[in-house]
Amino acid sequence: MAELKNWYLICYDIRCPKRWRKAYKLLEGYGDRLQYSIFRCWLSQRMREKLRWELEKILTLDDDLILIRLSAQCVKDLPKYNRQNTWILEGGGFRVI
Amino acid sequence: MYTLKPQETQQITEDTLRVCSLHAYAYCPRLFYLEEVEELYTQDAAVFAGRRLHEEIDNKENEEWLDLYLEDELLGLRGRVDALKTRNGETIPYEHKRGRCYRDENKQPQAWESDRLQILAYCYLLEVSLGITVAEGRIRYHADNVLVHIPFDQAAKCSVETAIQEAKALRRSPYRPAVTNNEHLCTRCSLAAVCLPEEARLAHNKEWHPTRLFPQDNEREVIHILEPGTRVGRTGEQLKITRRDQPIEKLSVQQVSQVVLHSFSQLSTQALHFLSYKDVGIHFISGGGRYVGSLDTRQGSIQRRIHQYQALTQPDFTLSLAKKLVYCRGESQRKFLMRGKRNRQESLPIVEQAIDQIKAVVRLVQNSESLASLLGYEGNIAALYFAALPELLTEDVSENLRFAGRNRRPPKDRFNALLSFGYSLLIKDVMNAILTVGLEPAFGFYHQPRTQAPPLALDLMEVFRVPLVDMTIISSLNRGQWHESEDFDIRGQQVWLSESGRRKFIEIYEARKSEKWKHPATGYSLTYRRLFELEVRLLEKEWSGEAGLFGRLILR
Repeated sequence: MAELKNWYLICYDIRCPKRWRKAYKLLEGYGDRLQYSIFRCWLSQRMREKLRWELEKILTLDDDLILIRLSAQCVKDLPKYNRQNTWILEGGGFRVI
Repeated sequence: MYTLKPQETQQITEDTLRVCSLHAYAYCPRLFYLEEVEELYTQDAAVFAGRRLHEEIDNKENEEWLDLYLEDELLGLRGRVDALKTRNGETIPYEHKRGRCYRDENKQPQAWESDRLQILAYCYLLEVSLGITVAEGRIRYHADNVLVHIPFDQAAKCSVETAIQEAKALRRSPYRPAVTNNEHLCTRCSLAAVCLPEEARLAHNKEWHPTRLFPQDNEREVIHILEPGTRVGRTGEQLKITRRDQPIEKLSVQQVSQVVLHSFSQLSTQALHFLSYKDVGIHFISGGGRYVGSLDTRQGSIQRRIHQYQALTQPDFTLSLAKKLVYCRGESQRKFLMRGKRNRQESLPIVEQAIDQIKAVVRLVQNSESLASLLGYEGNIAALYFAALPELLTEDVSENLRFAGRNRRPPKDRFNALLSFGYSLLIKDVMNAILTVGLEPAFGFYHQPRTQAPPLALDLMEVFRVPLVDMTIISSLNRGQWHESEDFDIRGQQVWLSESGRRKFIEIYEARKSEKWKHPATGYSLTYRRLFELEVRLLEKEWSGEAGLFGRLILR
């Protein structure tokens, strides 16, 4: 099932290594890590809500979490004012290994 | 706490209905049927957001909420009442909804009909199973923060009982209900991409202009593992790909739609379980490029396959489908030859002759009386087509890459090696679509069962042979993309693609799959990747009372 998707920045601060490990592993299944505790994920609304639900089950109230949706325009302009290779886009829909 | 699988983990008894299925029934009977009978269950964003809402409420007000799993055989209902408040000795079930409430003419907040039925069903279930009196249920709409009181009286009881009777009758029925007339329901429905309401309306009304409810493409990647000795494993939520003398590659499972293992690479059982849990297709292709098989993890879809058997055991029906198929392929072949002729300066007498003859045979297809005669016509068309096909190669293509006619098992020249490998990749994709939709690949309508491949997959493949494989091979040869010694492996009489040749072919083929094509019958553009699945769903519509859209993918 295909749906409309957007790039999301997902940033977190987690106070306990055990919870951090769980959240980190979960997020790796959804996208790439850009920096420590900053991920980017290519999500539909459905996937976003699922991810948030799964994260909320792991995190507690003293952890921080923020999801930021980037518009297509935001993502297009990113290379203009950043170092090279900060936001690499792959594509093609296939991978030969 | 709310667990991942709400009611499914419980022992399911034969006859009771889940309360939330009543909600679906009131929303749209067809949705109820798809979920309960055909067991197509998707969770959309609202479901997860709703679960989170429940979590938050749990966390905020831990002390006064109860959570009960109730079932009553007499009433025929089961469900989880997860918000129960007791005030002054009265028990009041609550239902939390994320959305907005319905406003009547006077702008007064009211409950939506389906929500109302759901909360009343909870009231009834509580009364019957706990032996208490419930005076009302309440629904809180969080978007506009409204609390709606729903009185539970005799009339309400009657409406719940009626709904249960109707829903049960529908559950026993072998027929899928028609698409609802209220289009607004479909735009918010999580099963729209499966139910294809717009296409169903189009089948009944040719003037209808479908507004597409789903995007053009599925962006997840197909992972081809070509190098023998590669190991595919699982780590956390990722796939781990280990190769000799190479750094380990990790892919998030969200980006993967299929894993295709060529020759002998290893896939760990952990990864296999993980991929099937995430609905990722797993396919095997031999080192020589023959399609070996796929992992089939469907546990449900029994009803859909029963419908398929019933439909495809009627000779007249299968004949009409087979006619559509042969016509579709023949026309595509003819159009492709015409295209090739147009693009060339010099005249190609052989091609022109073939075009005229194919046209004559295709005309006969419409009036054929039996599958046997259809097979004959198809053979005639194929012979004409493959005799004319070499003419479409330009002068620059070297003698070694040319061919005379089709041969296979094993292919005897380079061109046929390309065709064979292309058709293997194609049948793999068609199989993937069939398994995704949940039909039975072994039960077709045109190809006779043989040991070679599942008949239904072979049937559906006919639609895509010309646009996806034949066209890509001819144009890549004309562009001079093939190296006659490096890309091929010649063993006596047999010709295979070498490692680099397979790699190159996969790249060309996958690039072609991501091109868009306007579907002639429905009028919107989709990539070929999505067209596979759409075509399988349209085929299923042929016997679900919304016929007329299958097999119309013909080149212009």
